[in-house]
Amino acid sequence: MRDTDVLVIGAGPAGAVAAQEAKRAAPTLDVVLLERDGAVGTPVRCAEGVGDAGLREFANPVGAPWVARKIRRVIFLAPDDSEVKVAERDVGWILDRTRFDAFLAERASADGVEVLVGTEAAGMNRLADGRWEVRLRGALGDESVRVRMVIGADGVEAMVGRWAGLDTRVPARDMESCAQYVLRGIDIDPDAIYLQFGRAIAPGGYAWVFPRAPGIANVGLGIVALKADGRNAREYLDDWIARRYPGAEQTGYTVGGVITHTTITQTYTDGVLVAGDAAHMINPLSGGGIVNAMKAGRLAGRAAAAAVCAADTSARRLSAYHAEWMRLLGDDHLKYYRIKQALEELDDDFFNSLARTVNAIPGDKRTLGRIFAHALVRHPQLIPVAAKFFL
Amino acid sequence: MLDGSYVGRYRSPMRRGETPSEIAVVDLRVCDRCGLCLPLCPPEAIHLNLSDLVVDRSTCTGCRKCIAPCPVGALTMVAA
Repeated sequence: MRDTDVLVIGAGPAGAVAAQEAKRAAPTLDVVLLERDGAVGTPVRCAEGVGDAGLREFANPVGAPWVARKIRRVIFLAPDDSEVKVAERDVGWILDRTRFDAFLAERASADGVEVLVGTEAAGMNRLADGRWEVRLRGALGDESVRVRMVIGADGVEAMVGRWAGLDTRVPARDMESCAQYVLRGIDIDPDAIYLQFGRAIAPGGYAWVFPRAPGIANVGLGIVALKADGRNAREYLDDWIARRYPGAEQTGYTVGGVITHTTITQTYTDGVLVAGDAAHMINPLSGGGIVNAMKAGRLAGRAAAAAVCAADTSARRLSAYHAEWMRLLGDDHLKYYRIKQALEELDDDFFNSLARTVNAIPGDKRTLGRIFAHALVRHPQLIPVAAKFFL
Repeated sequence: MLDGSYVGRYRSPMRRGETPSEIAVVDLRVCDRCGLCLPLCPPEAIHLNLSDLVVDRSTCTGCRKCIAPCPVGALTMVAA
């Protein structure tokens, strides 16, 4: 049986950053990054949009081969299809996740992390000496590895948390069922992302168009099944595309879940940390998870390395990771979650009328602050929503 | 048990000795292996085995929480 100091399970953004940060923090430690699929970055289960500032904390997107498109504008579509442009600045980027995830893993590898692809964790149990024995299954057969610190970065389908006794379950109302195509030959502003809300379009979620190139975009939506009319996510998407982009060529196709819950109540236990989607570290309002995952991975990698070096991987010590995450973003997610709940009370007529209010503000004066002020005056239904932010 | 033991956290809606009349099954020809249903399962009866979805017949309580959220409709109920 082999031994390692830090085993990171899952080579997405959370795992790759966690592994690299652990190795950088303590270069003498053995750090192994595990990936179930045969290549890091596949299959892509993501709309691939990311904010500019958050991304730049980890990598420079300018001219990078893992960027598909720079985004300058956000266009909201009300349920009645009226368009509202809200920002005109460096909003963000559409990534090429296959290349981006590979880039992060290669960077970790260059720093001395051992990356194992085509290998899945099949279970783990705690040894008498406090280490974890993790059973691996892969192309080379079965083996077990003795580990001082396990970092679970295994995404929506998270098993590490379960094995460690953490509660990673999600209430049905906080699970977005998503489907997405890559569409070619569609008439869109290639520098803008489009977001459309509406009970008949995407109940409990929204539909999106994220351009990858002129005429080519990730086109998808997320729904909360409890609010749906019996159609599944793919059927809602097919109906939306038939109406908005009839005749478009469908190339890529993917489905997946986005957890719009808040961080799990405990992200650590003896010798184990969980990060990213596996710990529900997603902005519950937007469904954005990439930067959240990288920020959590950074904290987890550093905490794990320090714990091994101090020969103290107890839950008591590792609880500092949870507190640090909550201060950094977890507490904000609780606020966003309350706003999400408040917005769920508003109907399509409200959003149609809000779009008219915002469009009455001249485009060059349409800052988010001014939109917010106008909206509150004209639409008192928003006051309880805004109030949630300050609770 | 090497695969971890987490039974006991979930309070089953059924009385001891009672068995569900229906349980969930997955059609692997339709399933995309996205894993969305795993965290939705109260007794954690669903897992991935070498990327294939498995519903554990002995722990599924037939609660149906996994059925509608599946983006492709790969999960259905059958008589237990």
